[in-house]
Amino acid sequence: MHEIGAHHVAQIAGFSFNMDTLYMTWLAMAVVILIAFMATRNLKLVPTGWQSVLEMIMSALLDQIDATMGPKGRKLAPLIISLFLFILISNWLGLIPTLTSPTSDVNTTFGLALMIVLMLHILGVYFKGMNYIKHFFQPFALFVIINIIEEVAKPITLAFRLFGNILAGEILIIILLMLVPIWMPVPSVVWLAFSIFVGVVQAFIFTMLSMSYLANAVKDDHHD
Amino acid sequence: MVDINMTLVAQILNFLILVVILTKVAYKPLMKALAEREEKIANSIKSAEQDEIAAKKLLVDYQKQLASARIEAQEIVDKATKLAAEEREAGIAETRAEIERMRKSAQADIDRDRELAVAKLKGEVVALSMAAAAKIITSNIDEKVNEQLVSEFIDKLDAEKIGGLPC
Repeated sequence: MHEIGAHHVAQIAGFSFNMDTLYMTWLAMAVVILIAFMATRNLKLVPTGWQSVLEMIMSALLDQIDATMGPKGRKLAPLIISLFLFILISNWLGLIPTLTSPTSDVNTTFGLALMIVLMLHILGVYFKGMNYIKHFFQPFALFVIINIIEEVAKPITLAFRLFGNILAGEILIIILLMLVPIWMPVPSVVWLAFSIFVGVVQAFIFTMLSMSYLANAVKDDHHD
Repeated sequence: MVDINMTLVAQILNFLILVVILTKVAYKPLMKALAEREEKIANSIKSAEQDEIAAKKLLVDYQKQLASARIEAQEIVDKATKLAAEEREAGIAETRAEIERMRKSAQADIDRDRELAVAKLKGEVVALSMAAAAKIITSNIDEKVNEQLVSEFIDKLDAEKIGGLPC
């Protein structure tokens, strides 16, 4: 029997890689790039087809970026939009039989979360200098413990929320197929439909939280 | 199930590559398209506003022109009415004067004719009287004949109808 969540591990140059996750990631990337290519191949003043879909997602995210991050947020907009599209397509990929979501591998989600948190601290120091480091010790020095726990919790919660949701969704798809006879497909179909919704919601949550974390580093707050 | 290995780094790299590609392929052209659209809409709104202002101005101009034209037309009508009234007055006065003149000349004609007639009549009366007198003298036979002759003469006068005139 297929072990749920197991990966085909390959050793390359002394490092181990989950090859199935990498293949699925490349597939998801290819799909995202294909959509982006189709949407921008023939740009029109009045958008139609894929262009209007992508523009809708983009303008919704840009509104959020402007609202949470302020003027500097526009520089991070390509990253945020790519993050949303990649996670969305990755989540949906697992709903196709025989394929798995790249986001059901903790390496993917934790990698993305770590990248966001590293970027947050680097940008924080870059934009705010000593003030950024100082704000970990406010209101008084002992708070540094709580603040560090918070900072460590950020990537972990971000990564495991997405990983858990998507992996659980895939597990449930397999289990439903095992438990319910094949002539009774209603539970599987209902769960698949719900998983489409979960995929959007989880992609949105990951993106929004990344946005609000990054906003801490990027936003000008003169009132402090 | 939860084993972290080098896939993590590979995924970060994969994602960064995706960001670079998407920025090139989709983000920049789409942002450009959005900006162009925004600019076009803003321009359209601006030009529409300008058109509206121009139209309002034009309307006010037309209304002013209409009002002035109306006043002018009224003036012209007034002037024409006044002129017509004056002309009519003048015509009436002239006609009156003409009538008066004609009446006067007619009166003068009548007076002259009457005077002429009176003079003529006087002449005739004198001549007749003279003739009657001559007759009386020539046939002065007696008192009786004389008297008869005068009455005959007077009767003749009546018969010739010189009456009607105040002589």
